[in-house]
Amino acid sequence: MAVRAELVDSSAVRIVSRHEEAALDLAGSLPRLLVAARRASATVVHGLHGRRRAGVGENFWQFRRFSAGDAPGRIDWRRSARDEHLYVREQEWEAAHTVWIWIDRSRSMAFRSSLAPVPKIERAVVLGLALADLLVRGGERVGLLGLSRPTASRLATERLAQALAYAPDDGGHLPPATAPIARLAEAVVIGDLLAPEEEIEAAVAGLAGRGGRGHLVMIADPAEETFPFWGRTEFIDPDGGLRLVAGRAEEWRAGYEERLARHRAAVAGIARRHGWSFIIHRTDRPATEALLGLHAQLGEAER
Amino acid sequence: MSALPLAFLSPWMLAALLALPALWLLLRIVPPRPRRVDFPPLRLLLDVTARRETPVRTPWWLLLLRLALAALIILALARPIWNPAEAASGQSGPLLVIIDNGWASAPDWAARAAAAEAAIATAGDAGRPVALVGTAEPPRELTLTTAGEATERLRVLAPEPFTPDRTPLLGPIRKLLSANPATEAVWISDGLAGGEARAFAEGLDAALGGRLQMRLDDTRSARALAAAENTPAALTVKALRAEAAGPEPFRVRASDLRGRPLAEAEGAFAIGARDASATFDLPIELRNDVARLEIVAARSAGAVQLLDQRSKRRAVGLVTGATADVAQPLLSPTYYVSRALKPFADVREASGQGASQAVERFVSEKLPVIILADVGALTREAHAALAGWLRNGGVLIRFAGPRLAGAPDDELSPVRLRQGGRVLGGALAWETPQPLASFSPNGPFAPLVAPSDVTVSRQVLAEPDAELPGRVWATLGDGTPLVTGARQDKGLSVLFHVTSDTRWSNLPLSGAFVDMLRRIVDLAGSSPAALAPDAASAASSARRPALPPTRTLDGYGAFRSPPATARPAPAEGRPAATPDNPPGFYGPIDAGVAINTLPADAALQRLDLAGLRMSVAQIATEEPMPIAPWLLTLAAIAAIVDSLVVFLLGGGAALLGRRPRAAALLLAAAGLALFAGPGALRAEPAGRTPIDDRFALEATLSTRLAYVTTGDSEVDRVSKAGLEGLTQTLGQRTALEPGAPMAVDPAKDELSFFPLLYWPVVDGAPAPSPEALARIDAYMKQGGTILFDTRDALTSGPGMQNETLKRLLGGLDVPALEKAPPDHVLTKAFYLLEDFPGRYAGSPLWVEALPPVDEGEERPARAGDGVSPILITGADFAGAWAIGANGEPLLPTSTDERQREMAYRVGVNIVMYTLTGNYKADQVHVPALLERLGQ
Repeated sequence: MAVRAELVDSSAVRIVSRHEEAALDLAGSLPRLLVAARRASATVVHGLHGRRRAGVGENFWQFRRFSAGDAPGRIDWRRSARDEHLYVREQEWEAAHTVWIWIDRSRSMAFRSSLAPVPKIERAVVLGLALADLLVRGGERVGLLGLSRPTASRLATERLAQALAYAPDDGGHLPPATAPIARLAEAVVIGDLLAPEEEIEAAVAGLAGRGGRGHLVMIADPAEETFPFWGRTEFIDPDGGLRLVAGRAEEWRAGYEERLARHRAAVAGIARRHGWSFIIHRTDRPATEALLGLHAQLGEAER
Repeated sequence: MSALPLAFLSPWMLAALLALPALWLLLRIVPPRPRRVDFPPLRLLLDVTARRETPVRTPWWLLLLRLALAALIILALARPIWNPAEAASGQSGPLLVIIDNGWASAPDWAARAAAAEAAIATAGDAGRPVALVGTAEPPRELTLTTAGEATERLRVLAPEPFTPDRTPLLGPIRKLLSANPATEAVWISDGLAGGEARAFAEGLDAALGGRLQMRLDDTRSARALAAAENTPAALTVKALRAEAAGPEPFRVRASDLRGRPLAEAEGAFAIGARDASATFDLPIELRNDVARLEIVAARSAGAVQLLDQRSKRRAVGLVTGATADVAQPLLSPTYYVSRALKPFADVREASGQGASQAVERFVSEKLPVIILADVGALTREAHAALAGWLRNGGVLIRFAGPRLAGAPDDELSPVRLRQGGRVLGGALAWETPQPLASFSPNGPFAPLVAPSDVTVSRQVLAEPDAELPGRVWATLGDGTPLVTGARQDKGLSVLFHVTSDTRWSNLPLSGAFVDMLRRIVDLAGSSPAALAPDAASAASSARRPALPPTRTLDGYGAFRSPPATARPAPAEGRPAATPDNPPGFYGPIDAGVAINTLPADAALQRLDLAGLRMSVAQIATEEPMPIAPWLLTLAAIAAIVDSLVVFLLGGGAALLGRRPRAAALLLAAAGLALFAGPGALRAEPAGRTPIDDRFALEATLSTRLAYVTTGDSEVDRVSKAGLEGLTQTLGQRTALEPGAPMAVDPAKDELSFFPLLYWPVVDGAPAPSPEALARIDAYMKQGGTILFDTRDALTSGPGMQNETLKRLLGGLDVPALEKAPPDHVLTKAFYLLEDFPGRYAGSPLWVEALPPVDEGEERPARAGDGVSPILITGADFAGAWAIGANGEPLLPTSTDERQREMAYRVGVNIVMYTLTGNYKADQVHVPALLERLGQ
């Protein structure tokens, strides 16, 4: 049986609420235990957690005796009125991670072969939104790179989905060359990562310029991996309009597979050089798999 | 010509086959259209360099398929023909086509004509002149014509219904041959030896030698019937065939003059037998109606046998001297004779004529048998005619009687009679009535057994003389003759010494009487001439007029009006048909003769071809058949297969396979719809309207009176009120407590729940629909009673004159009616009544007529076996019974309130009668029963 491979109609890949629901379902399906375990192990640095010391924060930490050098304005008069000392109200120092998510929305992401249940874009959006939900529930701040500001709101998933839905199609295969992310922030780049290695290198280097960590998630259709074509076949590049007529497609398979392996090795090398992680996800696999892997990577990086 | 029976009408088209290799190359080079696939990682693919880029070629089998397709189309365009008409033999001389068109050619005439036409067409293609002759045609000069004219002549030829005589054709053929020595001949023969076939074959052989080709059918389809015989036991017919081949069953159908099939009989040729017989074991009446026998599906005049009057029952003229008393047929002197003759003879009675006129008429009608039942004297003319008829072969049967006993001897009796009769067992006679003792062994009654129960109380006596003992056919116990008979010239005279009725003896009542009459009538021929088949009649028959043809057979054995060539046939018919006298009926339809194709002693034989030089071939039955349509069909199929293959190769399977479940569901649904659809449609209207359950429950949970709604609301209201009043009265006075009355509509409602239906007749009411009539009829037949009330006792006279009622009852099977007699059980059912008044007095109540009273039986009440299904009155019962809501009478009666009371009593009696039937009539026997029991 011949494999059919085509681009899904653009209206079918519009980011709508179903993605959000799917993402919430996906995020909800992750065992609570995992999150708890991660929180337990990474409680020092991860999330909007009390740093168990005084600092900038919202929650009360302790009262301490007024000492010299403290600004008089910080005296808590209500407390000080109860005895003869002056007290200064100290807040607990709080800090949150910021995770920037970027999802490839180019035309090639609309690809779906008959071997996969969903187009790549759908899997990518669901994955990104589920990750955002997980992170928000964990107290982190999540933003869409180049599209929205980081937010820790419980409604983050919804906001991100809306931002995605109304975002102009920039046609880019890679994150835009914005300012590098902060040192402690993390970037999650979800896409098919089929751009030339040099472009990927440049994009990653730009993002990691200030030491920010990141994760590359390569979404691949099974047809892109196994090349299940034979006979006379005309291949069309959805983005560039390029065409290639293969007289006997099966003859191309070995070369393609080898080339694909090289490409992935190159991307993996780029990730390694910048201390980033690299995950390959096939759309015929369950999305949970990728989310778990991504989550583990995030947790590991934060430790 | 190749070995295959295949030819091309446009062989030059085959040159296109040369283009096939070019097509092959072209198809090889042009690759199939590529599949289009979106492929995002194309950039990666561009970096790959394929080691070997060989274009995909069309698969070899697809190539072959397409080449075959092209070849099929080219072949079809070349218009190939299977079994082409035979090509010319290369000769250029004229062609003589001789075709047998006798009856034996009829079954496969189409094939024969086709063979002849093919031969003519072939000759025509070669430009040869053709002469065509049919052997059953009258001899004529043979001329050479073009093939077209010969074909036209062939179309006119049809099988003739007789055996052709071929020898007269030899002369014209020899003449033609002498003028055209190079002539070739084809003889499409029926292969039978009849009609001088051997002589004709030898003559042709001598004239033509090897230039004669004989075409024979190998179907041996010629079957014939001959020698149909209406024996006393059964109707038999002989079937003939020419080949002494294997066993072969056949069926013979008998039909009457109008062509209606009467019977079919099975027969079978035994192995090696050339004839077989079929027997119709039918009642004589049916047998006598048989006018035509034919082998089923034989389609040939030879397979038809026509039967005329000669094989039918005899006509008997019956003359009585007594005045016919129609009112008492059992006392008529001819009653027993005609009853006894009916089974085997055609009895014609003299109606409304004197005996002498009747005798003269029967003689002029040439009846073979005349019976004179107690005819004494005839007029001189009648006597002379009868005597002449008797001498000419008539059979005269006389019965004695007072008139004959008193008449002078008229020479028409076999014996001389003594004047006056003899009375046995009378008050003044010594002798007791004499039994029938014996039948004479010399007479025609010899095989019969004398019945012991025949007694004779009176007879006429013969003068004893020397001739008497030889003429006695049956004797009484005392030796006196009962039946005498004597030849009179060619005729026969028989005398029964008793009357033809039961006054003198009970002989006419016995079965022996029938047998005796039958034996006498069997002695007679169909006509006087048949009794005397000697030389004298031949001379007389020559004087008789010839019979014109009435209906003749065509070659296929079907009746047609006689052709112009048919001539009148001699009165005695012909043994076999000739061109002048084709088979058929001649003369009047009921007294004519039938001529058959074959004589009674015919036998079919194959034509012996030994020692002849002619070549023999089969009649070709295979027709040229163009193959192009088949080739084109094959090409279309190949094209479809090719399309499917291309579709599948181009990824169509993926399209199909994407939703295999849906496709399977669709197929299943289509199949289901196909099978279940008609069934479901059929199931819809199959449901019958059931009896309305509510109505049925209401009607049956208690006994109810019912009235028929008329559509006139006032009448319906009175009906309802009347039945309510009757119901109330019944509840008060009898053990019956009916439920409230119901209205019914016979067109819709089930009637069988109600013992009594009150039906007021409204003037101008329409007749019920056929369905309603059927319901009413069933209701009446199954024990229901309908009380029709015309309510017109004041206006109508006696008798039933109500037009509406007549119309209502018009479609019903109404029994004979009578006014309820005073002893009818209706008058005793509950109250003792004398009349049946309603609102109006004086109207009779009509009931089903009772059986007549047995004499001497004194019964106070009578009833039939059941309840009268119909009661008719004009007294307006419901009007008298009707009560209002408070029990007050609604309508006044015609006289006083006592009449209303009587009306109620009538109603009670009617209801009791319908419920208990003749119970009360049996009750009146109680005293007698008690008495019989010894109480």
